[in-house]
Amino acid sequence: MTDDDVLKRWFVADVLPLERDLERYLARHCRARDDVIDLRQEVYEHAVAAARKSLPLNTRPFVLTVARNLLIDRARRAKVVSFEQMADLDELNIPDLVEADRALTARDELRRAMAGLDQLPPRCREVVRLRRVEGLNIRETADRLGVGHHTVERQLTLGLRALANFMLGGNARIERKPGLAPRRKRTP
Amino acid sequence: MTRRNDIEARAAAWLVRRDQPEWGAADDEALKGWLAESDAHKVALWRLEAGWDATARLAATRSVAVERPSLNRLLESRALQALAASLVLICLFAAAVVPEWVRRDQPQPLRRFATTVGEHRAVRLPDGSAVTLNTASTMRAAVDSGRRAVWLDRGEAYFDVAHDARHPFVIHAGDRVVTVLGTRFSVRRDGGMVTVAVVEGRVRVEDAAKGERGRAAVLTAGNVAISRGTSMLLTDRSSARAEAALSWRRGMLTFDRTTLEEAAAEFNRYNRRQIRIADPQAAQIRIGGTFDATDIDAFARLMRAGFGLAVREEADAITINS
Repeated sequence: MTDDDVLKRWFVADVLPLERDLERYLARHCRARDDVIDLRQEVYEHAVAAARKSLPLNTRPFVLTVARNLLIDRARRAKVVSFEQMADLDELNIPDLVEADRALTARDELRRAMAGLDQLPPRCREVVRLRRVEGLNIRETADRLGVGHHTVERQLTLGLRALANFMLGGNARIERKPGLAPRRKRTP
Repeated sequence: MTRRNDIEARAAAWLVRRDQPEWGAADDEALKGWLAESDAHKVALWRLEAGWDATARLAATRSVAVERPSLNRLLESRALQALAASLVLICLFAAAVVPEWVRRDQPQPLRRFATTVGEHRAVRLPDGSAVTLNTASTMRAAVDSGRRAVWLDRGEAYFDVAHDARHPFVIHAGDRVVTVLGTRFSVRRDGGMVTVAVVEGRVRVEDAAKGERGRAAVLTAGNVAISRGTSMLLTDRSSARAEAALSWRRGMLTFDRTTLEEAAAEFNRYNRRQIRIADPQAAQIRIGGTFDATDIDAFARLMRAGFGLAVREEADAITINS
């Protein structure tokens, strides 16, 4: 058994850097971006559960194998599967194209964070900026902007999520979550 | 909202609250309980935490003019004055490096990428497309938010083009222009000859000198187009064959009933040490198989063992004879 601290270190250091390759592999088999993200999280979940028994020696093939098995399960559940699709599943040989930009330098990281911040909707951006740049907490931010505690907390949660995804993902832009759209349908 | 979406929102909410001064032991227990519920919760939180931690450097962009009053008192100590000074330096640094990157709408200058003999190079373009340059190749790229154009000046490259229907990706290879929307394929130049092999998607190949009779061909997966001057040969191979033509990306060469002469020429693209076929009879022997592109000694040994050919090894060449 691997304890959770070790598991977390392995996940952050070895698994997360594969995210772009993993998404690229998954995207070859399902078109909808949302499905890819669902599958990605499912792969992570299974990988962590399997690694708890023992950490794999080589993470990349391990994670891709987990992904392939999930895709095969999914294909079996589907009614119609093209031969092309099944044949392709066996090919785990994904060229390691992103190796070069995998390790973000401190400077790249700052640039990327600034670009991500820039793409947030204005109000969300200001709340995240006050937290991350100025170091204000929610109460101080609410006082400064003259809005409620709850509003700040909600905007900060959305911003954290969008910005964290931006830092990890291969996508060049922030995905607009339903809650980030300026006009939002309220659910009762 | 999907289950995953829901979990990610919860994880983000935990991370926001954990940073606040009100966070207490009871909250800590509650978070532990939530994490213990499932691995899906754990990976969602670990993942967002890592992404959020990566934004910590934003603090370096804090401008000194908007200090908080509580900091003024702290700043009276000498050590902190030094720290403040370095913070100013970091801000100046950030101000210097950031604008060129943030202004993404400005046209990018032409960037040049090259490989030497035997070298491979993976290049990621600003639009998300990935290019692998094969041995002894040169490419220039002008890719930004407005246009996507590259010039393959010599050699060979494999393209994995990010999909963007509004901005076609255009490759200029000698007298051919290859236009794509998003797909995987390779382009190779040998002097005046241009070969395009498509693995996935659709690609249009046309004469650079448009007009006349509009010589354009649309290639789909498995197609290989070989063109020279005004003629173009379109062959329909299986996808596996098109993939085999791309085995160089793994450092391998794949031959199928290829003459020894052609195989030697192929090896010679990857190595300074050249293979010479000394007599016409040996040159016409046909071989098949997959070989390490840079291990010409192994290839020569196989020729000796398999075909009883005489192999003479020198410092800069290997000569093969009947």
